[in-house]
Amino acid sequence: MSYTFKEIIAAKTQLEAEFAALTDKKQIVKNPLLRDLFAKIPTIEASQRALYGGEVNALKQEVTTWLVTTSTKDERAGIDVTAPFAPNTKQRPQVLLSTVGTKHPVNEEIEHITDIFYRMGFTTLESRQLDDDYHMFESLNFPVGHPARDDYDTFMTTDGFIAPAHTSTMQNRALRQYATNLSRAEPIAVVVPDRVFRNEDLDATHEHTFHQIEGVFVNRGVTVGNLIAVLQAYLSEYFGQELKTRIQPFYFPFTEPSFEFAVERPATLRKDNTEAEQWLELGGCGMIHPNVLKMAEIDPTVYTGFAFGFGIERMIMLKHGIEDIRHFMSGKLEFLRQFR
Amino acid sequence: MKISLQSAQSTTPTDITGAGVDEIVRRIGAQLGAVEEVIDWGKQYQGVIVAKVVQCAKHPNADKLSVCLVDDGGVVGNVPRDDNGLVQVVCGAPNVQTGQTVVWLPPGVTVPSTFNSADPFVLDARELRGIVSNGMIASASELGISDDHDGILVIDEAPHPGTPFTQLYQLNDTIIDLENKMFTHRPDCFGTIGVARELAGIQQQQFVSPDWYKNAPVFDTATTKPLSIAVQTSLVPRFSAVVVDKVTIGPSPTWLQADLVKVGMRPINNIVDITNWVMHMTGQPLHAYDYDKVVAVSHSDQVELIARLSKKGDTLSLLNGKSLSFDDDSTILICAGSTPVGIGGVMGGADTEVSKNTKTIVIEAATFDMYSIRKTAMKFGLFTDAVTRFNKGQSPLQTTRALHKAVTFVKEFAGGQVASQLMDHQDQSVQPLSPVSVGLKFINDRLGSSLSISECKQLLENVEFTVTINDDDLVVDVPFWRRDIHIAEDVVEEIGRMYGYDKLPINLPQRSSQATPKNAMMAFKERLRDILTAAGANELLTHSFIHKRILDGAGQSVDNALQLSNAISPDLQYYRISITPSLLDKVHMNTKAGYGTFALYEIGKTHSKKWMNDDGLPIEAQRLALVFAADAKQTTAYEGEAYYQARAYIDMIASALGIILHYVPFADDSDKITHSDTARPFMSKRSAVLRTEQGEVVGVVGEYNALAVKKFKLPEFCAGFELELDALRNTSEVTATRYIQLPKFPKVSQDITLEVDASVVCAEISDTLTVAVDKNAPNDSLVSLHLKDIYEDNGKRRYTFGLVISNYSRTLTAKEVNDLLDVSASELTGILNAVRI
Repeated sequence: MSYTFKEIIAAKTQLEAEFAALTDKKQIVKNPLLRDLFAKIPTIEASQRALYGGEVNALKQEVTTWLVTTSTKDERAGIDVTAPFAPNTKQRPQVLLSTVGTKHPVNEEIEHITDIFYRMGFTTLESRQLDDDYHMFESLNFPVGHPARDDYDTFMTTDGFIAPAHTSTMQNRALRQYATNLSRAEPIAVVVPDRVFRNEDLDATHEHTFHQIEGVFVNRGVTVGNLIAVLQAYLSEYFGQELKTRIQPFYFPFTEPSFEFAVERPATLRKDNTEAEQWLELGGCGMIHPNVLKMAEIDPTVYTGFAFGFGIERMIMLKHGIEDIRHFMSGKLEFLRQFR
Repeated sequence: MKISLQSAQSTTPTDITGAGVDEIVRRIGAQLGAVEEVIDWGKQYQGVIVAKVVQCAKHPNADKLSVCLVDDGGVVGNVPRDDNGLVQVVCGAPNVQTGQTVVWLPPGVTVPSTFNSADPFVLDARELRGIVSNGMIASASELGISDDHDGILVIDEAPHPGTPFTQLYQLNDTIIDLENKMFTHRPDCFGTIGVARELAGIQQQQFVSPDWYKNAPVFDTATTKPLSIAVQTSLVPRFSAVVVDKVTIGPSPTWLQADLVKVGMRPINNIVDITNWVMHMTGQPLHAYDYDKVVAVSHSDQVELIARLSKKGDTLSLLNGKSLSFDDDSTILICAGSTPVGIGGVMGGADTEVSKNTKTIVIEAATFDMYSIRKTAMKFGLFTDAVTRFNKGQSPLQTTRALHKAVTFVKEFAGGQVASQLMDHQDQSVQPLSPVSVGLKFINDRLGSSLSISECKQLLENVEFTVTINDDDLVVDVPFWRRDIHIAEDVVEEIGRMYGYDKLPINLPQRSSQATPKNAMMAFKERLRDILTAAGANELLTHSFIHKRILDGAGQSVDNALQLSNAISPDLQYYRISITPSLLDKVHMNTKAGYGTFALYEIGKTHSKKWMNDDGLPIEAQRLALVFAADAKQTTAYEGEAYYQARAYIDMIASALGIILHYVPFADDSDKITHSDTARPFMSKRSAVLRTEQGEVVGVVGEYNALAVKKFKLPEFCAGFELELDALRNTSEVTATRYIQLPKFPKVSQDITLEVDASVVCAEISDTLTVAVDKNAPNDSLVSLHLKDIYEDNGKRRYTFGLVISNYSRTLTAKEVNDLLDVSASELTGILNAVRI
């Protein structure tokens, strides 16, 4: 790191010398030279003060890093990082064989799902990993303090941000971003596959971090029948066979009416023929609440739409017979290399 | 919410259960919501028989036992009988007497209270002190209909001996447990009447509410025990109370206890049971206070119940034994004078509890602000049946109806009489909701249905909406128990559900042939994954949250990391600032698991307090990080440092994306990239900053510093990189086509070796030579220079480059190529003091 102020450059040189001589290396951060430099900040001419202050801080940081690097002794010599290989070697670096390369099964699944939705006319958006109350709750018609918020055990940061507990946190943005579609008589059709977070304890069926896919569709004259048909079309394509879907009334603040939906479980994914094995509960859906449309500046008397959402890991677990959801985030090659 | 089908049926003359349990459950699933459990309540009473005690004599060998002869009407087979057909049963209960109608559990029958336990108890015929007892006479507790185990259950009604016990107290019942979540906006469905009404509606039948619920109540009035009320907060829109005197506390009637047990509530005494029963019927929670205790704690002759907000210094002992003290004004308290006697809508106080000797009671039925109730419940961890109902926004229009029903029962089952006027505070919000007008087209447009206006009207009227038709509009009057019908869409939901969503026509939306836009970033990430999979790398995902030890190990400061305020475990304290540390954390475990060589990568988002966007949200920087590791056994397979292995991956990505990246040693970094959190875990002497040809920083590559090696237990041969996806993608998008036309004329290949001082790094000599060769090559040539070898010895380095050259317009001669290399080499002698070998 290079500095522009003479006294800082001089101080660094002297600090380096003193550091080399110190037996208790920790003492370097308490060196009066640093204190003096800080004390001088207010006396520096206003136009230079910020720059000067920044460099003093950088010096302090740099000195701290000396401490960190020397606390663990490093015998390794420098190398020519501009070269593609080391001198005096015969072998040239090779990447590993493609036969051991793998994609993470969740990303593989997301590619597969979004591919189907692209073909059905839905574009894709990514979600966020930190969001505000407005997008996570308010714009979705959850008033502040509403008990429906209790169903989402959200993580919060000390600065008041929220780790989104559902990909619906993107609904308002998706509606706004593609609102111009409506004026061209094209629907807003978006899916959002991404990470979501729930503040719960880990076990074989619970992860605090998992993936969801959210869908929104808005146009003139969109009906509940369209919602069911789209889900059915998607699921039939996904499973490669015609399957029945079932919807069950539910409550979400951001849809009215709201449903939970299930698909007829394909025969290959059934353990037996009991009622419980007949349907596969997938997620929630409903007609977008007029307040949610209004908050995205879409007129709910002209346009209607639907939204849906479901989990991603569960389907992968079902397909492959994965017994523990924690494997997904474990980073175990034993797990990862099975998905070639 | 557990519902007894028998209780539901008892609320209305309409046949709502005739379709059979299976059909009802199916309908509920399709039109009301998820069913969590269906319990066949009568099953546990199979073989349990009503019998009459014909004779009861003392047991000759035991003081506390009686030997009874019971008449079961002869319905039970396989039991020994005397000449009169009576069966001998030994009974230990103190209250058994001749002439009683009792419940007999014959041999072979399971004791009902153990029916669902892990260890069901099946009766047999056995000797008790020398006398055979054929089964037993049951207590209410053994029958699982109350906690009363002081003696056998004596039936006041007089059914014939031999009657199956399930014919009493509506025990031949089905309990349906409905998921609460779907009733978040339906407080009325936390009452049996509300659910019964839905059952009628979804079966397209006309529901009629019970008169006592539907009609405005008329209270007896008296002034023997005066009561006044005062509401000092707007969070209590309605507060109704009345005093009932001369009550006798005791058990409530068996049928009422059974009703409570069936839905999972515990019978306590007649007063508490009545308030619970009315709550479970209407959804309106009630609370009974001991009037004399209220007088005692209020230190005043005047009995005044005051609803107010808590203040610092207030304390209260609750019914559950907990004591609370309040430090702010966030809780609604009910006070007797200045003394708190309950948390409004949550739980009553211990000091005014109805108990054995209570003579006079105050019954309260009030409505509380749902948000305040939720806050209080969360603050003190009090999740009562009342909270469940009040935090859904219970209707304020039914307090006096519930109160009146409770008073009627108290008169009937506890012998009381009304001793005060009805005290009833209501604020201006206690009004029915405004009528909602909705057009037929609006309904059919949203449902995709073709319902007629009269069909819609009927569906709504079935659940007791009052509907008038105004041309093509339905004007819907909202009944007093509903608080969720505000806008036309709410009416659409109601009609859709009552009609049956499963009957709606389903069809895909029409769409144009407009191409669906692709998400460029997601497509780019897919491309990177394809490249890296082909390079034998394994993609993993790690948590966005990390433990402080991971930041420490990477030498990153916690000051820049966004911190979680409510993490369940220290493993999730901070948002990660870069991806690399999370990857490093996964190296050792995989090495230990026996993987000698591997390349792990993750594409993910990072956050820092330093990076905020214009909306005040943290910027979510998308990154690709990779770490290559080989354990000690594998290291012999690699020559040179691990750095070059990581670099091979970058070179591969760059070439696949058609971009050129420059490697700038950390020492030459002028933009303080090496001071970033991302660069922290890298070892400066063996790392480079990556820049595009335009100078944009794309990331860092290198080996890890000694701290990281130690903290993450990294093998010696370990290196990796972290790249900014935005920068990488932008560069790859602006890079023009990289196709080079194929020359028609033959290529010439020739090597050149140059010796320089060992301080001349590879990039320097490569770049200089490239410039020289390009400059001196004949016009119209295609030149490629390729580094073949570096040999270092004695302070000198020899670089060997392979030159491949061809020309688009003619065949080059060997001399031309030799001259080119000669000229170029001599130029390098001038610049770098290079000697051609």
